[in-house]
Amino acid sequence: MRRYGTAVLLLLTGGAVLRITLFSELYLRYVQAGLRPYLIVSGAALVLLGLATAVLRSRTPDDHVALACEDQHGHDEQEAPHSHHRTPRTAWLLTLPAVALLLFPPPALGSYSAAREAAQRAAQGVGTFPALPAGNPVELTVAEFSSRAIYDSRRSLKGRTVRLTGFVTHGDDGTWYVTRLTVSCCAADATTSKAEVRGADALPADTWVTVTGTWHPKGALGSDEAWPPVLDVTTVTQVKQPADPYEKP
Amino acid sequence: MQNQRTVADGLRFAVRALVHAVLGGAALVAIATVVSVLGPTLALDLYTPPVAAWWTVFTAVAVQGVPFLLLGTVVSAAIGAFVPERVLKRLLPRRQALAVPVAGVAGAVLPGCECASVPVAGSLMRRGVAPAAALAFLLSAPAINPVVLVATSIAFPDQPHMVLARLLASLGTAVVMGWLWARFGKEEWLRLPRRAAPHANGTATGARAFLAGLQHDFLHAGGFLVLGAAAAATFNIVVPASVLDVFTGSPWTAVLLLALLAVVLCVCSEADAFVAASLSAFPATARLAFMVVGPMVDLKLIALQAGTFGRAFAVRFASVTWVVAVAASVFVGWWLL
Repeated sequence: MRRYGTAVLLLLTGGAVLRITLFSELYLRYVQAGLRPYLIVSGAALVLLGLATAVLRSRTPDDHVALACEDQHGHDEQEAPHSHHRTPRTAWLLTLPAVALLLFPPPALGSYSAAREAAQRAAQGVGTFPALPAGNPVELTVAEFSSRAIYDSRRSLKGRTVRLTGFVTHGDDGTWYVTRLTVSCCAADATTSKAEVRGADALPADTWVTVTGTWHPKGALGSDEAWPPVLDVTTVTQVKQPADPYEKP
Repeated sequence: MQNQRTVADGLRFAVRALVHAVLGGAALVAIATVVSVLGPTLALDLYTPPVAAWWTVFTAVAVQGVPFLLLGTVVSAAIGAFVPERVLKRLLPRRQALAVPVAGVAGAVLPGCECASVPVAGSLMRRGVAPAAALAFLLSAPAINPVVLVATSIAFPDQPHMVLARLLASLGTAVVMGWLWARFGKEEWLRLPRRAAPHANGTATGARAFLAGLQHDFLHAGGFLVLGAAAAATFNIVVPASVLDVFTGSPWTAVLLLALLAVVLCVCSEADAFVAASLSAFPATARLAFMVVGPMVDLKLIALQAGTFGRAFAVRFASVTWVVAVAASVFVGWWLL
């Protein structure tokens, strides 16, 4: 293990990265879609590096293993010289996320995170928006619906049937929302947008739904009363969690 | 006599073995029963929504750091293995006071987030670049590279001044920190990362030294990235978002709060502009401070620096950088925004 520790760690890390990017779309639970090519390249590079290290180590006689891995670890002056020949000790921490991703990939963030994060209103003032695409119902992201409902001076949502997809969250006194998180780089920067659903019974939290309905205007444009926006729904269908659980900003 | 003793010994041994077998067996059975009955429920009880969210944020920070960390270690290993010392020495002005701003501006060429710059700065120091200049590079690279500036302009479409303000405040902080180190820094704080001299027997060719440096640097820094990710995830779950609402009132507390938030949230420098844009309740200067502090001081970065340069260095350097970065943001914000 001492001899191959470095190779094992590199293979484990690279393998974990490839498992969530190349062999599945699990990476979308953690990072935004644009990172995929970089992650695949890094995962492949780590696997190759691990293989190269294993081959080099297996060809080096024991007393040279020390030389092959060199003493770049030199800043731990107080340690005995022999300890330099091992894999840096903190590196073993990498097994934590690697094994988690390989065996039990953590779920996408859901209602718990949405409730913690007081839903942010998109940073913008009242203004005009580009025309809504044609089609009835028109498919919108929850964030887009929310900002058009609150800030669009031309009220482009008026008279349109819209369709939103998100997960269920509950408010006080029986209100419920269709909610979606927005991730711009990784799940650590998730922000929440939501729309109140009226005219249908609540489903359990974290159920994924597609709702179709019309905008129910309330409050003055850009005011606190206008938020959160309301949707009078006609149909609520349960759906599977989409491959990309988050919306892009 | 002899015979008796053997019998007694045998008897004693048999009794002891029996006792061990019964006790040990009973204990094993008990443990197995408890685990098989309680295990699944216990695992489910422990895997509550906050714990699941912690794991998700933890792996997310670690995963998004991997490509940038690898880029940084490839560049740093290449510098270590292929760039002779005299080239770097010739590129930078000999006088430290001049070398610092040059190195700061040079930070614009490394397109990555903060994970990439720590190993590169380490290998620059190993190659004989003055620490003050390498540190200016370390601070400016993640903040002023084109990718980050473009992201900032996309996040603030109505405030073109924000990009300029970010560039000036970040570069200013980096240069001031370089000069401060040149004037007050002590060599003994810095556990200078050194690499063993090439072997006498000449086995370490360029490519081999590159591979050895690459795997070592990546694994070493990777461990600290994981530590930082754990810290970031913990704060993400523990600090309630309502704290934010309390401080939006006064501009001063808003600046300090967002500067602290940047430290604990560890948002990648290529994404922090979007987060800053979403914090719309805060004044522009506070959001600028969030974007200037974030790429220079955050938990993940402190862990990486402690691993590369030593804990004594990381603590001093991070705290002074935080103060300088806040001051620079307030000054530039008051001037431009």
